[in-house]
Amino acid sequence: MKKFLYAISLMVLGGLAACSGPTPESITEVVKETVVVEKEVRETVIVEVEKEVVTEKEVVVTATTAPPQQGGVFIEASSTDASLLNPIIYSDAASFDVIQHIFPALINQDPFTGEVIPDLAESWETSEDGLVWTFHLRDDITWSDGDPVDAQDFKFSYEAIASDNVDSPRKYITDGIAGIETPDPQTIVVTFNEVRCDGLLNLGLGLLPSHLYGDDYSDIMESSYNEAPPVSAGPFLFKSWTRDDNVVLERNPEYWKGAPYLEGWIYKVVPDPGARLGQLQSGEVDLIEAQPEQLTTIELDSNLELFKYKDDGYSYIALNLANPENPQPGQDEEGNLVEQDPHPILGDVNVRKAIAHSLDYDAIISKVYLGQGYRLAANVLPAIEWAYNTDLQPYPYDLETAARLLEEAGWVDSDGDGVREKDGTPLSLNLATNAGNTVREDLGVLVQDQLNSIGFDITFEAIEFGTLIEELDNQTFDMIIIGWTGLGPDPNDDAFWHTQFDVPGSGFNAVSYHNPEIDQLLEEGVSVPDCSIEKRTPIYKKIQEIIHADVPYIFVSGTVGNTAYNGKWQGINPGPWAFYHNVEQFSLAQ
Amino acid sequence: MSRYIIRRLLQAIPTLIGVSLISFFLVKSAPGDPVLAMTYDPKISQATRETLRRQLGLDQPLPVQYVRWLTGLVMRPGDATAEFSDEDTGCSYVSLLNYTFCNSGGGVLRANLGTSITTKQPVWDRIAERIPATLELTTTGLIIGLLLGIPLGVLSAVRQGSLFDNLVRFFAVVGNAVPAFWLALLLIFLFGVYLNWLPAGGRRTVSLSDEFDLVDRLRHITLPAMVLAVGWVAVLSRFMRAETLEVLHTDYIRTAKAKGLLPIQVWFIHATRNALIPLATILGPAITGLLAGAVITETIFAWPGMGRLTFDAAIQRDYPVVLGTVMIASVLVILGNLFSDILYGLIDPRVRLL
Repeated sequence: MKKFLYAISLMVLGGLAACSGPTPESITEVVKETVVVEKEVRETVIVEVEKEVVTEKEVVVTATTAPPQQGGVFIEASSTDASLLNPIIYSDAASFDVIQHIFPALINQDPFTGEVIPDLAESWETSEDGLVWTFHLRDDITWSDGDPVDAQDFKFSYEAIASDNVDSPRKYITDGIAGIETPDPQTIVVTFNEVRCDGLLNLGLGLLPSHLYGDDYSDIMESSYNEAPPVSAGPFLFKSWTRDDNVVLERNPEYWKGAPYLEGWIYKVVPDPGARLGQLQSGEVDLIEAQPEQLTTIELDSNLELFKYKDDGYSYIALNLANPENPQPGQDEEGNLVEQDPHPILGDVNVRKAIAHSLDYDAIISKVYLGQGYRLAANVLPAIEWAYNTDLQPYPYDLETAARLLEEAGWVDSDGDGVREKDGTPLSLNLATNAGNTVREDLGVLVQDQLNSIGFDITFEAIEFGTLIEELDNQTFDMIIIGWTGLGPDPNDDAFWHTQFDVPGSGFNAVSYHNPEIDQLLEEGVSVPDCSIEKRTPIYKKIQEIIHADVPYIFVSGTVGNTAYNGKWQGINPGPWAFYHNVEQFSLAQ
Repeated sequence: MSRYIIRRLLQAIPTLIGVSLISFFLVKSAPGDPVLAMTYDPKISQATRETLRRQLGLDQPLPVQYVRWLTGLVMRPGDATAEFSDEDTGCSYVSLLNYTFCNSGGGVLRANLGTSITTKQPVWDRIAERIPATLELTTTGLIIGLLLGIPLGVLSAVRQGSLFDNLVRFFAVVGNAVPAFWLALLLIFLFGVYLNWLPAGGRRTVSLSDEFDLVDRLRHITLPAMVLAVGWVAVLSRFMRAETLEVLHTDYIRTAKAKGLLPIQVWFIHATRNALIPLATILGPAITGLLAGAVITETIFAWPGMGRLTFDAAIQRDYPVVLGTVMIASVLVILGNLFSDILYGLIDPRVRLL
């Protein structure tokens, strides 16, 4: 009897499950409605924010009539912890997020234009040949223990980088410097080996407090100061660091721009993006970098503000111009060009142009990036206004032109299986990206689909990041979806295009792009004697023209950053290059 | 008994050596390079990377690297005395073999797990920092799991076939099936954001002062411990139910009932005590698992534990840290299994340890 009842109840349950036929329809209807609503909200916000960005440049932040309130602790959430709080040996962005509040620097970047502006150095001049730079320093900046921040701190920090006792990833900076002289505590004379127009930016590293270290730089690497900086010349003093949990900084009343109103600033580690959003909404943290799919929730929350900006990075598809079975360096030991074995399919510029025409970029930006992106025609970002070539049009989505280019290149579908062939070789390519990055995974699927529709045979795989990087660097790939970030305010990106950087296993010219004209233009652009913008602009515009025509990368989208923060703070006035440039003015709104 | 323990400990030695060999070669064979991961910047020259690689010893063949990790002995062809000797490392050049031998004073055999590649801290320090947080979370999860799971399992067995029994069994299956990350995110958004009753993550409310606030700590540990406890309750309730059922049908329980003892006395004094015996087999490895941490729960709740440390180190290819946690985990597993075998031998007089 019991068994019979069990059997009946199982069948009933099974029947109920089967009978849930009608319900899925109503569920999909509901889902469709919410999607429409989301889209509307997003569209209106994009328009609004574009206007916001323009006006913020012109508006001067005027003081409120009531004096700002003292107090409050600003908490930033990050996905990873800092590793080292030493401004000359750190290598990760999270460490920099903390370092920027503690260590002073010779020069800084304008938060809105990215140009070099004075910081410790009030003014500077260059010699005729552009090799000798003389900096005049302020005399009113001190470390929190009273010692002045002066030319000696700069000389010490940079000579430490060059020293054998210090393992810094920044030795490339000091390799280009012939000497540093300090005739008096407020003057620094830097002599470069050769004119490098992006060399000035390299002098903007955070400086170590030289009076706390020994003269031979031997106590820097293992110093406990790397985990607990004892003095600060920035807006905040170091208080404590609980690894993988939080870094706590408190107000520095001696800060030379004025003591902050904030009592403290905390860097909190929250690895999961969903949890970061949750903590922002509950008020446990004040600032996060938001993912595109979180924007709707943030915009609908009246307690939160959103700062949208064009970041200094872009996503692209790297096309291997050389044969992945035979990676070769671009130059031999004497610097002579080495002839590359071209990629059997991607070596033809018409095939690359065809790929560029086959992608529906508008659909990609709206569906994959949820509108958080913009089209790029070449390798320089619009954020670098003086060098950006406004005449170039990005490749339009044009399947007919793509098909015609492939036919003319000899790729025809002779056997009717949907895949084009040429001399018996099918148009098959491997596309890869890093697993776990849902945006890139979605992009890969779309690209595969769109290319397969005009006769390609694309195999797409999402692999682990470390493995992907190895494939890229060893040049054993066909196509890889990846991105660059932190490109900086100078348009020089010779590491991606110059033949000397085509080194399998380490060079960043992983696509094996060889163009002697580009090599020459890149070298010219960065060694203009007075680095004047008038002379450099035409060079970089030409470079963009050529890169646009040669298609070594498919430029998918410029990166749009979204910083979400709690509306209870006032004084916040972020620019695309810096959020905290006026952190001493942040205060609780009244 | 002591002979048994000594024999087991001696058996542990070849096991640990085998584990160290296999994990070392597996970890190092994985694609990906920590030096490249740390210096992935177009401006950093290849020469800098090579120097860094050489200083970390990552350019040598794997067996040489293994010897260095295990014993602290560095072997380099040619005369490299000047390059590698410093205040803690003494080098000597053997011209017969044309090799330099350096003794860095480290090596696993001398209880030195090496230095982390990413943060330059000693590996042991990095691991030890996380132990309190990890133990806090996993122990609380286990205790809640025990306090809820055991009585639920026993009562379920006693009321076999009832609605209570079926509900407990149903929720046990659900508890096992539900993915931890889903449950964690659900709890965060429910209790942290919408109801705002409990914090959405972290170990304590970050603030400028360092004081220990018990209530604040308890509020922060509630949600992550609940997520872990769900898994334990699911496992323990089914286990205890099965064991108790076996015990309930024995003669001595019938005697107890016949003697007229109260149901509570029968179930919890006589039945449970006997049903708990096989629990010793679970508790041994469970105590090992306490230090392994729970990667997913720790990641979502931003809990600074060992699970997250190992995972992050693996992604960053920080070999010394990964190998350090693997070796510590193996030692704990061996000790945990030994402990549960001893416990079993002590509790159950029918078992004789040989």
